[in-house]
Amino acid sequence: MNEPKVAILCAAAALLVPAPRGLAAQIVSKIEAGQFSVSDGSLPMNALRLAPSIQLELPHAKFKARGSAFISEQALQLADGIVSGTFTSPTVYGVRAEMTGNASRAVDDRSLGNDQVDVQTRIHLQFRSRGGLWVGGGVARPWRLAVVSSADVTDAGVWAKLGDAAKALGIATFTATFTNFSFTKVASVTDTGSASLSCASVPMSSVVSNGTMRPLFSTAVSATACERNSRFGDLEGSMHWDLGALELTAQMGHRFGDSYDVTDDSRRWSSAMGTIWLNDRIAIVAGGGRQPALPLRGIPARNYAMGGIELAYWPLSRTAVPVSLPRSPLVKSFEHRAGTQGLQKIVIRVGGVETVDVMGDFSDWTPLTLVRRGRDLWELSVPMSPGMHQINVRVDKGPWVAPPNLPMMKDGFNGDVGLLVINPDKAH
Amino acid sequence: MRLESKLPRWLVPPALRISALLLLCALPAAAQQDPYLKLDQNSRIAIEQLSDSLRQLGLSDRPLWSKTLQGIRLGVDNRTIVGAVRKKFTNLRTAFTVLGPVGDAELDAAAAVLEAGAKPSQLSVFKQRQKGRSDLQAFTVWADLIYRSVPGDEAATAITKLWEDGADEATYRRLWNDVQADISQGLNPGAALQARVREAPVRPAAAKPPTPPEG
Repeated sequence: MNEPKVAILCAAAALLVPAPRGLAAQIVSKIEAGQFSVSDGSLPMNALRLAPSIQLELPHAKFKARGSAFISEQALQLADGIVSGTFTSPTVYGVRAEMTGNASRAVDDRSLGNDQVDVQTRIHLQFRSRGGLWVGGGVARPWRLAVVSSADVTDAGVWAKLGDAAKALGIATFTATFTNFSFTKVASVTDTGSASLSCASVPMSSVVSNGTMRPLFSTAVSATACERNSRFGDLEGSMHWDLGALELTAQMGHRFGDSYDVTDDSRRWSSAMGTIWLNDRIAIVAGGGRQPALPLRGIPARNYAMGGIELAYWPLSRTAVPVSLPRSPLVKSFEHRAGTQGLQKIVIRVGGVETVDVMGDFSDWTPLTLVRRGRDLWELSVPMSPGMHQINVRVDKGPWVAPPNLPMMKDGFNGDVGLLVINPDKAH
Repeated sequence: MRLESKLPRWLVPPALRISALLLLCALPAAAQQDPYLKLDQNSRIAIEQLSDSLRQLGLSDRPLWSKTLQGIRLGVDNRTIVGAVRKKFTNLRTAFTVLGPVGDAELDAAAAVLEAGAKPSQLSVFKQRQKGRSDLQAFTVWADLIYRSVPGDEAATAITKLWEDGADEATYRRLWNDVQADISQGLNPGAALQARVREAPVRPAAAKPPTPPEG
């Protein structure tokens, strides 16, 4: 079979993909407000920072917009903004593909604002929702920063979850990533800005590499500019600990690269942040540390400290009562109430998970994914006729278990199933 | 006649890769179109025969196919699925024999109680239908009590006694909450049930008609 026929056959087979039925989308919005202090070797700056963000989640896509502005000396100054979209494929045998696109702008006194567009793809391999790894690559294209060309980005990482969200120590997620940036720096002979490469200030010497002499710099297209192939890699480790109302995040990293690409103040960095949720909508956040330089954006390394309030504007249910039972250690509570037009609203409270599914005779035992409505609140409205229904729940594609706070019985397949009674007078 | 590609040569390999990726995504979606495809022919015939038998009794076969789908979704082997469906059929037929013509919901709930371990004779109390009164909650709590290792006869006695005393859904629900809480505290299941049944509210005994004086 020749290539065109294979391509046509694959494309025709691909048309078998059914249109998704019943997109479950949710919008999460929040705003951070607090005092922000940054120091990058020059005079420290203190400012009130506002950072609104909004996120739209679909079954296989996520769109996010975030910005930040500083209020300093009674003036409002935009700091940065980013719009991103992520598309993920269905997970098949623990493997899924992901593509992310970002458009961002960062405003800095020295860079005077630069834009960047990133496109990146990744292949994820997941192990029972408790760990995984990924590899990926992409392109970052800065604008308004003529000294840097497009950068090729390759990255790889591993992650693992330890603990149980329902137990005293909570659940912790550890991540280790390595990101490699490869780009070309271009500078004019008369350009002496600190974020750029100066042809005049750097000796035009050679370097020994693999036993051969090679020029450190090459001449660019014009005689008034020079360019250099630059490369550096970031090795970063992070930990996120979800302990009920308290969330702790810590990061540390090391940058590899020669001294022409990596300044001494960007070799190492570390930061930490704590969030205390006063209720489901308001949290106190505080943190600080050191951010490495962003050569692609011309932003130097900086120390920072921040403290403030985070307000979450997602719709919440006020009637769910958390009840913990040993049978379903991750699921804290299960509740159902009559909705409109014969629908029953299922409300499940479980934290520290990525997905929550239910299935039962009402869905012909097809898994239905709940929609996140809060930090640990999940909801779904399903049609259920009056009668006794059997129902199971699972988190992060794990094993199916009977929901807590429901009568249960053996399901005939060496497992358990929950029993849910819908009375005719409560079905409407 | 050989078809010539109209795609530029440099685009063909990426097009093949994209098509292969889409095909990989399409395969699980295609499998979801007919879940019964996972049943072998013999198993499907066996289940269809049970379904026909149930329909001949004038009963809905939906519980049998629901049990089949449940087994398929859980990844159970075909032999176990057929065994579970056969058991479901037997319980539905038995419940129909004891209770007579009742709604599909009540029949399915009664079959669930039999599946949990109750005896057919213990269901006879519910044969007399009472207007405005649903036995679904009673059956649900009954099945759960057996699941939590309450002796079958003790569970049946408690549930049927409450039913005869006029217990409503709220009473059964409260009983279940209390017994479950006691068991989680370490109390023996049978003892927990006995204690809570004694606390359950009962309707006052009907006044006896006056006895005519002798003579």
